[in-house]
Amino acid sequence: MMKIGNLIFGYNNYAIQIAKNIQSKYDNLLIFKFESDEVRTELEEFDIEIFDLSDEWNELKEIYNMQKSIAFCVLEDDAQNIFLTISLRAEFPDLTIIALSRNKESANKISMAGANKVIPLIQTTASIIVDMLDKPIVTDALHSILYEENDLKVAEIEIQQHSYFEGKYPSDVEWSNEHGIIVLSVIDKEGHSEFIYSSKAKHHTIQNGDVFVVIGYEKDIEKFEKLIGGIVCQ
Amino acid sequence: MLNSLIVEGAYFLSTSKKYQTTKLFFYNLLENNNYKYRKYFDIFMITLILISVIILVREVKYHIDDFFLYFNNYIISIIFLIEYILRLWVISSVSKTIIERSEQDSMLNKKFNLFLALKIIVKEKLQYMLSVRAIIDLLAIIPFFHQLRFLRIFILFRVFKLFRYTRSFKKFISVLSIKKFEFLTLLMLASIIVFVSSILMYIVEANNINSSIDTLYKAFYWSIVTISTVGYGDITPITYEGRLVAIGVIIAGIAVFSFTTSIIVSAFTEKFDEIKETKNIDDLKKLQEFYIICGYESIAQEVATQLIKKNNLIILDDDNARVKQAQKDGFTALNYNTGSVESYHKLHINMNKQVKAVLCLNETDVANVYTALTIRSFNKDIFILSLLMQNRNRKKLTFAGVNEMVYSKELVGLIAKEFVGKPVAFEVIHALRSQYNNINIEELIVTQRIVKSFSTVDDLKNSEYRLILLGLYQKEENKFLFNPKGSIFLQEGDYLVLIGNIVFIQEYEKYLKIKKK
Repeated sequence: MMKIGNLIFGYNNYAIQIAKNIQSKYDNLLIFKFESDEVRTELEEFDIEIFDLSDEWNELKEIYNMQKSIAFCVLEDDAQNIFLTISLRAEFPDLTIIALSRNKESANKISMAGANKVIPLIQTTASIIVDMLDKPIVTDALHSILYEENDLKVAEIEIQQHSYFEGKYPSDVEWSNEHGIIVLSVIDKEGHSEFIYSSKAKHHTIQNGDVFVVIGYEKDIEKFEKLIGGIVCQ
Repeated sequence: MLNSLIVEGAYFLSTSKKYQTTKLFFYNLLENNNYKYRKYFDIFMITLILISVIILVREVKYHIDDFFLYFNNYIISIIFLIEYILRLWVISSVSKTIIERSEQDSMLNKKFNLFLALKIIVKEKLQYMLSVRAIIDLLAIIPFFHQLRFLRIFILFRVFKLFRYTRSFKKFISVLSIKKFEFLTLLMLASIIVFVSSILMYIVEANNINSSIDTLYKAFYWSIVTISTVGYGDITPITYEGRLVAIGVIIAGIAVFSFTTSIIVSAFTEKFDEIKETKNIDDLKKLQEFYIICGYESIAQEVATQLIKKNNLIILDDDNARVKQAQKDGFTALNYNTGSVESYHKLHINMNKQVKAVLCLNETDVANVYTALTIRSFNKDIFILSLLMQNRNRKKLTFAGVNEMVYSKELVGLIAKEFVGKPVAFEVIHALRSQYNNINIEELIVTQRIVKSFSTVDDLKNSEYRLILLGLYQKEENKFLFNPKGSIFLQEGDYLVLIGNIVFIQEYEKYLKIKKK
């Protein structure tokens, strides 16, 4: 059986941080380095593979299920990172690629090259700094939801028993009082996300197949999920 | 006996808090350009001077009401006299000089020499009294003796006194003073031309009965009028030689005139940055709250662009090219060394009251540690946020007194983890942060006014404003309550974390502040 791989392209501080953050949860972590990169002690514990930008990735194809694998392109040089992204995308149309870019300009290019998610380093760092200064409470709250190991979760729940709501509109249901959760938005069948209080969501009766984005404690989400029998995706 | 009495008196004055506070107040009012009430005093004095001059001008041809004359001759003059005495008082400290002298004498086991102390005091005071500005001040008081009509001309000194209160004039003089040598050279050249041409003109024209230039004084007058390019034409040379001299003076006049202009322009060009800097610092003093950003590299550029939407900020960088770039981007930026205490003192600001936080955004840890340590050396309380470029330097930045660090590589790691592990949460929170579809997440502080009208979470009625109350931050317990129960009491200093359309959040904020029970 083919493995699901977490492939990190780049042998630098970004790779160290990504590897450290995901190693506890994910197996099959493989870090790719150029032959010229000097050995780093912090990365010694991980599997290292040597690559160059002209690779055709034949070995990867054989070992990993590239449809389910994730590649992190975190080379420090934007041009190299774009080249790497484009060459991976050309070879693996279904691979999830997360790429790093220095700024918004190269973020656009790297998106065009086929990355699923781009992290523009300068903008992301700056936004975090500004949020920390302007909205410290919000930043802390979101940080704890995102990064800390607590019971608070964000989940997508699909409604399968709409009769429970008796044709109510989403904004009319007392979500927090009755179910202990907060519904942020409704995703319709076309995949469009609408804020719970937006005009469109207000005029849409709850139906089977609607997906709600909710925030709540794990137990409350589970309880709610049992009640309306949906698929939970965290 | 007298000596010891004087020394005792000096000690009393120098330790008297009331006396020192009063003196400091007058010193600030009269001499300290950075004192906030100084401008009101200046405006008051300028008004008095203008009134005085208007009365004088009116008096030349018309009758003036006695009240105005009385006001001009006594009230204004007395105010000026008081100002003069106050300036003389604050310019140096008599008690300090006496104490210094007496301590010095006692150290040398000598008897206190009062005469020597008085000599120093008189010398200090005289030095001030003989300065041009003090003389003008004194002469401006003289119209007080209005009975002596010839002394009335001294009212003109009140006009000169105006310059004391107009800082732009002082700036103008200071700008021109950097070209003192050039002006002096030009003056010498012009004087020689005037001297030579007036003598020449006199020699060639004086004996011609048709010529109006028949005295040396007229020749001199003609020369000045011509070289200055004014050229009234009331007296003109009529001889062939005289006109030849005139051609020479006219050409020299153009040269002198254009040189003068170019010197003034170049003086201003050279001082332009300094003038702009002074203006920026003056503007800064008026700001209630702002951020100081140290360093203007790529992350700092982005931070400044985002912060400026809701806040005031100033950028300091020791690299001139980066400062120019920041100014071009529309920010207030100064070419100051962020690692020098002097740079922060030059800003003349109250760090604790005016500065919200200092952001060390240089893209080297060495520069950030140095900047943070510099700021901590004179201020222990200010909040410092710094970029961390290499994880191994984390401790050094903490040691330098940084309150919060942002390590961009760690952020990438966390983002990667969340994207892989909690893709839904990641997308939702990213959308909230970037105001996707105008849906925003904001925090509102619970003020005393809000607590009075809304005592519990149930009273808030946020859903009526189409807002989600994500949570309540309780200040006292330093705890974030997700989805708080309706019965929870609000307390002053707590924060509401709301999600919704930004316009509704603003409306809701108004509603909370206005509503009363």
